[in-house]
Amino acid sequence: MTWLAPGFLAAAGLIAGAVVAIHLIVTREPRVVRLPTARFVPARPVRAQTRRLRLQDLLLLLLRVLVILAVGAGLARPVLDPPRRAVARIILADHSRAVADPAEVADSVRNIFAAGDVVVLFDTATAVVRAAPWDTLAVRGASGAPGRLSAALVTALQTASAERARADSFELAIISPLAAEEFDQATDSIRALWPGAIRLVPVALRQTEPAAPQGVAFAGDPADPLRFAFDRLRPATDTAVGVRIVRGGLTANDSAWVAARSRVLVHWPETHGEGGSAPPVPPAWRPRARPDTIGGVGAGGEVVVAPFVRWAEHDVAYATSPGGPYRVVARWADGAPAAVEIEHGEGCIRSVTVPVPAVGDLVLQPRFRRLAARLAGPCDGDGAVATVDSARLASFMGESAERYVAAGELPAPALVRSTLAPWLFAAALVFACAALLLQGWGARRGGMAAGGDA
Amino acid sequence: MLDQLASGELFDRVRGLHWPARRLQRGAFQGSHRSTRIGPSPEFMQYREYRPGDEAALIDWKLYGRTERLAVRQTHDDSELRTVILVDASGSMAFPEPGNDKWRLAVALACGLAAVAQNDRDPVGLAVVGAAGAELLPPRARLSAVANILRVLSAIRPAGATPLAPTLAALRGHHRIAIISDFLGDAEALREVAAELIAAGREIHAIHIVAREELEPRGLGGLVVDPEAEEGVRRPLDEAGLAEYRRAFGEWREALAGAWRAAGAYYQLALTGEPADQLIRRIVTPAATAATATAS
Repeated sequence: MTWLAPGFLAAAGLIAGAVVAIHLIVTREPRVVRLPTARFVPARPVRAQTRRLRLQDLLLLLLRVLVILAVGAGLARPVLDPPRRAVARIILADHSRAVADPAEVADSVRNIFAAGDVVVLFDTATAVVRAAPWDTLAVRGASGAPGRLSAALVTALQTASAERARADSFELAIISPLAAEEFDQATDSIRALWPGAIRLVPVALRQTEPAAPQGVAFAGDPADPLRFAFDRLRPATDTAVGVRIVRGGLTANDSAWVAARSRVLVHWPETHGEGGSAPPVPPAWRPRARPDTIGGVGAGGEVVVAPFVRWAEHDVAYATSPGGPYRVVARWADGAPAAVEIEHGEGCIRSVTVPVPAVGDLVLQPRFRRLAARLAGPCDGDGAVATVDSARLASFMGESAERYVAAGELPAPALVRSTLAPWLFAAALVFACAALLLQGWGARRGGMAAGGDA
Repeated sequence: MLDQLASGELFDRVRGLHWPARRLQRGAFQGSHRSTRIGPSPEFMQYREYRPGDEAALIDWKLYGRTERLAVRQTHDDSELRTVILVDASGSMAFPEPGNDKWRLAVALACGLAAVAQNDRDPVGLAVVGAAGAELLPPRARLSAVANILRVLSAIRPAGATPLAPTLAALRGHHRIAIISDFLGDAEALREVAAELIAAGREIHAIHIVAREELEPRGLGGLVVDPEAEEGVRRPLDEAGLAEYRRAFGEWREALAGAWRAAGAYYQLALTGEPADQLIRRIVTPAATAATATAS
């Protein structure tokens, strides 16, 4: 057990000792009572009296001491120490689009994971997993989103700080191909916060380079604002069209078109129907019972911050369907999918639930146009995956430093809650009530009778 | 008891009571008490032989018819009785704490006796002696006299140890004086002054206020202190001392009652907790006072 403020406990001990000493040692003058006829009392010498130890007094003393100690212990904020291990690992497992085979990541995690270790799964978002992380990896598979090492490192630092009481030293391991796109401008400064070296478990980098679709065709209302988010639209009959954006419902013709060649069919249902008509819900999605507002959406590194109204949510049942998981290609600010895609024949069908505002100039802004271009990009990511250069990799790994970081070197958690303190305060309250009851009972019993305490 | 005063309950209970003079009075004004003077009252007193100059209307002609002697019929006169109630407001009356039962009883008795005296159309006044000295309300027969007495007493907090005897001596011009006190102050000097007044024809009532807590004191095992004693009486009270205390206090009360009665005063013991109206009835009724005196 650790005391976060042991001074209070020491002070409580001193006060309790003083109370006991006063109770046992003190002598006192008898009670003084006004009596007009005191002159008829025979004159005798006045003597100081010592308290006679009675069971009731001892119980009262015990309760008072318990009250003081319980309050002191509560203020001292005791924290139960968990069992400590010699080494604990924080494992950053990459499941971004840079990973060639998610199973390889799962196998690597399985090889180095031990009970008590913490796994941080990351792509653009992070998730902390403490048990059977390989199962989680198998379920999630490879994300279509790029990895973000900065976010993963921040999560690792927070996790290590929270876990510093559970181990003597910590090791940070990264299971990742460490693609160049996973580094950003903040990565190095965040990396510097980890005081030791990083253990790298490399996995294969995805090498596929899908052919970029040639042109974009738009099937929908000519006045649809989404049309203006794309530079040069081509007619659907153009043989060079590689991307077809459908605003209404999908047809058999659309399905046959995308399955025939390596094409992209973007099903981007309209959400600005009039008269309260519900928008068509793409497969693998379901309408939200209560549409909510989210502050932004991101896809392929492009982020648009705007008050989007989410009207649909991805049905997770489809993510694990035997027909193949849907890949998430865009996420809302809270990490929920905003667009998914699934292979269909030679091409892929992409469902986008990002609402296009009918008013305002959002669709004309460059950031939205870039987002739209990402969402109309080639299947399974844009293929812009490259490894980081060796110099930056060496700097990032910090090979000259000690790999095991002592727990004391890690920053202390901002707030450690003492789960025992409320119970101690409650116990103090109970003891105080019991002491009052005992004192009241003693006063009634003794009352004016005489001389009981002398 | 003060609640009874505030609600008028005590005054209702003593309504109809009379506080007759115990001896013939020589009052200057017409009242309800028999006077030593010969007056126009229809109550026969004596015959006197006719002397030249007497009014012929005063001759008892029926007596002349029987005895052939001229005699004048004389009757009693009625007079008022100027009554003053002397209340002890020393520190010892503020007992027991909390409650001040002695003081509350003294106030109730003072107001009740004043109301009874007013029923007899007697002028009634107040003299109260406390820490600030003596405060006097001259006897008045008007209806507001009792209310004034209650107002003065309600504003007083018993304190100090001012002697009563000088104030009693200053009241020698009044016919009836009721002393309400615990007699723990200048009891001896007070009784000597009272004896002089009684010898001068005054009617003195000594009403001795005793708290039940004084009979059976609390705080056994502690120190008891006298709130009035200047030298600071601090004595331990234990089981053995309690028995001795009871004996000494009882003897003192008996001696005090005997001394007052020997001086010619009408002594009445008033214990806290007794109904004030019953005590008043005992004080104002000659037969009751005589019975109490005989019993004690």
